[in-house]
Amino acid sequence: MTFSPELEAKFEKLLRSYPPGRQRSALIPMLMFAQDEVGSVTPEVIAEIAARIGISELQVREVLSYYSMLHTKPMGKYHIQVCTNISCLLTGGEEIWEQARKKLGCGHKEVTADGQFSLEEVECIGACSWAPAIQVNYDFHHNVTPEKFNALIDSLRKLH
Amino acid sequence: MASKIQDALSSAAALAKGMGVTLKEMMSPTITEDYPDVPPKFQERYRGVHVLQRDENGLEKCVACFLCSANCPSDCIYIEAAENTDSLRISGGERYARIYNIDYSRCIFCGYCVEACPTDAITHGHGFEIASYDTSTLIWRKEQLLAPASPRETQTAINPPPGVRSPV
Amino acid sequence: MADSVNLTIDGKAVQAAPGTLVIDAAKKVGIEIPAFCYWEGLTLQAACRMCLVEVERMPKLMTACTLTVAEGMVVRTETPLVAEARKSMLEFVLTNHPLDCPVCDKGGECELQDMTFRYGAGEGRFDEMKVHVDEKQWSPVVYFDAPRCILCYRCVRICDEGMGVDALGVIYRGVVSEIAPNKEDHLQCDECGMCIDICPVGALTSGMYRYRTRPWEMEHTGTICAHCSNGCKTTLGTRNGQIIRGNNRDKSGINGEFLCIKGRYAFDFNSHPERLQSPLMRIGGKLEPVSWSRAIGEVARRFTEIRERGGRFGVVGSNRTSNEENYYLQKFARQGLGTNNIDHRRTGDVPALIDALAGRTGVLATVKDVYTAKASLVIGSDLAQQHPLLAYQLRANWRHHQSHTYTVTRGPVREDKYSVHGVRVEPGAELGALESLRDQLKAEPELVILFGDAIKGEAVRRLVEFGDSLGIPVKYICLVDYSNSRGAVDMGLLPHLGPGYQGVENPGMSLPEMLAAEDLDAFWVVGANPLEHNKLAADRAFVVVHDLFLTETAERADVVFPAASAYEKNGTVTNVCGEVQHLRSAVQTMGVKTDLEILGLLSKEMRINLGMWTPESVLREIRQTVRGYNVALPVIAAGGAAQSLPLNGRVTLDSRPELIQSAGDTLFTSGTLGRYSKTLLSVLEYPGVLYGEAAEPEADRR
Repeated sequence: MTFSPELEAKFEKLLRSYPPGRQRSALIPMLMFAQDEVGSVTPEVIAEIAARIGISELQVREVLSYYSMLHTKPMGKYHIQVCTNISCLLTGGEEIWEQARKKLGCGHKEVTADGQFSLEEVECIGACSWAPAIQVNYDFHHNVTPEKFNALIDSLRKLH
Repeated sequence: MASKIQDALSSAAALAKGMGVTLKEMMSPTITEDYPDVPPKFQERYRGVHVLQRDENGLEKCVACFLCSANCPSDCIYIEAAENTDSLRISGGERYARIYNIDYSRCIFCGYCVEACPTDAITHGHGFEIASYDTSTLIWRKEQLLAPASPRETQTAINPPPGVRSPV
Repeated sequence: MADSVNLTIDGKAVQAAPGTLVIDAAKKVGIEIPAFCYWEGLTLQAACRMCLVEVERMPKLMTACTLTVAEGMVVRTETPLVAEARKSMLEFVLTNHPLDCPVCDKGGECELQDMTFRYGAGEGRFDEMKVHVDEKQWSPVVYFDAPRCILCYRCVRICDEGMGVDALGVIYRGVVSEIAPNKEDHLQCDECGMCIDICPVGALTSGMYRYRTRPWEMEHTGTICAHCSNGCKTTLGTRNGQIIRGNNRDKSGINGEFLCIKGRYAFDFNSHPERLQSPLMRIGGKLEPVSWSRAIGEVARRFTEIRERGGRFGVVGSNRTSNEENYYLQKFARQGLGTNNIDHRRTGDVPALIDALAGRTGVLATVKDVYTAKASLVIGSDLAQQHPLLAYQLRANWRHHQSHTYTVTRGPVREDKYSVHGVRVEPGAELGALESLRDQLKAEPELVILFGDAIKGEAVRRLVEFGDSLGIPVKYICLVDYSNSRGAVDMGLLPHLGPGYQGVENPGMSLPEMLAAEDLDAFWVVGANPLEHNKLAADRAFVVVHDLFLTETAERADVVFPAASAYEKNGTVTNVCGEVQHLRSAVQTMGVKTDLEILGLLSKEMRINLGMWTPESVLREIRQTVRGYNVALPVIAAGGAAQSLPLNGRVTLDSRPELIQSAGDTLFTSGTLGRYSKTLLSVLEYPGVLYGEAAEPEADRR
């Protein structure tokens, strides 16, 4: 399996960043970058990364299944992550979550029919000061209300 | 002379007292049982011949955990276990008793097996007519001990093979 | 640093070496600290928190399995606080653990059950539903029931570190974490079952033992595995005359907790439906069952007749029968039949090694030496496949003592993962390749050399010369194939050597010569299968075979005696390192007799006095007459291993080293016995098989 030249360069740099024999330290960033490019961590990606680092596929799957931000199935173009941890919960995170499910018509770790959006209920994303917060791919949106959420989704839809 | 009259009177009194008891008992309900013409009645707690129970689905409750046989002071329970499969499901758990024998020439009806059973599979029934001229017939097999399956579960139940006495 | 540290555990003064773990120090003075995850020899996990102890001047409870001893430390292992902590830990462990002890295979010998009984967390306070996952089958041997798992990681570590296979891992996280196999839904591994036996609960269960009985219903007999030459002790659990389970959970014997698939599960040949249970005699061209007296009488009559007219006998011994039987057989042949035409399937050149090492002491390595030596050199053998215990010891040595391993092999081997230097050579070039390692080996403080059938004849002498030239203490192990291959050589099942490597005056025929001799009058095979790939040239020879099954050789026989297996007899066997161990009869099969008894009955019928034929009396004779076999009886009787030292004397060598050839069995084959083991066959058919093909074409063997 081959990746884009940019990703190949990233991988090469990552694998050189650690002392010899400690290449497995590069596993999580490699999985993240590969997921961003491929869309999800497919069995081929697992095999390729395991071979490049020199660990077993099982060891890759151990890490992969541990971290919730790594997916084995493709997510939507916009991956909406709604925090319902304590600060967001107290300031209305649950309502945002309900609104998101209604608005997008899909549930936890599900993708909309058009493949544009996917939804995930996540634990703390470190934006408690501006709770309730959501994360769309790598971007944060603070002090979200159901109205602001609707507007955000609509604006994202319009981008197409 | 007076003593003779006294004698007669006291005899009559004794007779009357005795007959009084008889007459009283004649009127009250009988306690004696008419065994063997009429089946005997037992207290609930009576410890008779064991019955291996089935669950609400007709599956055997026994999962062959061997605790009854481990607990048995006279070592009269013999079990061989096997694994349930999708095609042959005998008990509710993963394991079932392929063979379950109780040797009634050794059993002392102490009830320890019933106490040990974690699934309430083995219980004491009220059967007691197990006397035999041949001790080899005193080893009862699972087919003899098992509670009858209700008609709708005949598929999973084991029917006693021909020639085996039906459970008491 | 001081040589030892003084500390107090539960009021007892304890001395321990620096770096010792508190849990081990406590064990030394008889205090047991409970632990699920801790396993001696594996890396530390501290996952189960059962070993929490109170240590003076430490603010919190400490895990005894990770805490090293320190001077003046005061430890208390059973205080109310500790008991409370353990009870709470148990409560957590039990949150998702199903209450199916009556069904679970581990019930009765479960560490979790014991601990719950001891600390009393029998009733949970959680209302939530228990997480349920369906049971999975990972291989013919391994089943996994995830809800029972307490995530102690013992299986993961023993597979990775102990076996070097790395087939198990942990996926997901938190309450849904579970053990996963390396191939998505199945295992590709050694199928050794180490993970199953090391599991403190019933999460991993074995296909052989599953739901068949309960631990207290079995009787246990410690005996020696009937398969390869490593001589692992295996404890057979039997019920109703059937072997139900094999394991070594008491960690006794030379193998400790180790057993491979053969020792643990391949006992099932013993109850194979094709086991012979009655003597067979050729009547009208067909093998018909006959009585023992008739069969013995017939063989005795024919043997006597052939002996009296000066006919030629050919006797083939076994790699699997006990020392006593081998000794008695060669005595029978040499004294009773007056022939030196006796041989067996030779799998390693032990005589050449004994000869080359003449005049020295302490140069034959034991299994323990493989674990303690600073450096090892493996020549021409895939240890992980053919000598699993030696491979395990070597790996443990590297893990615990950072020992150096060198390999000179034809293909890649598992030892490459940690070996200092691995050399690939063409067959026959092994000795030459050693030169490239000379400088490295010279720098080692000591060395154990393990060599297979690649080094034989003159090459053994040159190997020993190479060892001498290094200028360091060197010990040797000549690798042989089967459970008593070494014993067969020691007991003189050779045409040119008697017991204890004493030369005989008129060397007889070797096995290939017997097969080729057209004028052979009698061919007597005790527990071997030489006709599997060969033909017997002597068409009219009277053939007698002792075997468990109707093998190719037995089919050609005129009389077949049904023999008892190694699990059905008493006696001694000698492993690859020359360590003598005790065989104990675990079960009996109806209709069979041990080879020793058959030999005894035959000698009686033929009126040859060879002495009593009980294992004890023959062993007594062996100890008195066979060089190096005056081993300590109490050691053997107590289940230990005593090394025989048949050194110090020149040995008459056979000039044809090409007769020596290893059968090249893999982890999942075991000569003829392997063909009758359902377990081994099912593993070979499974997609996850790690070693599918034999290293070399199979040849005649039992």
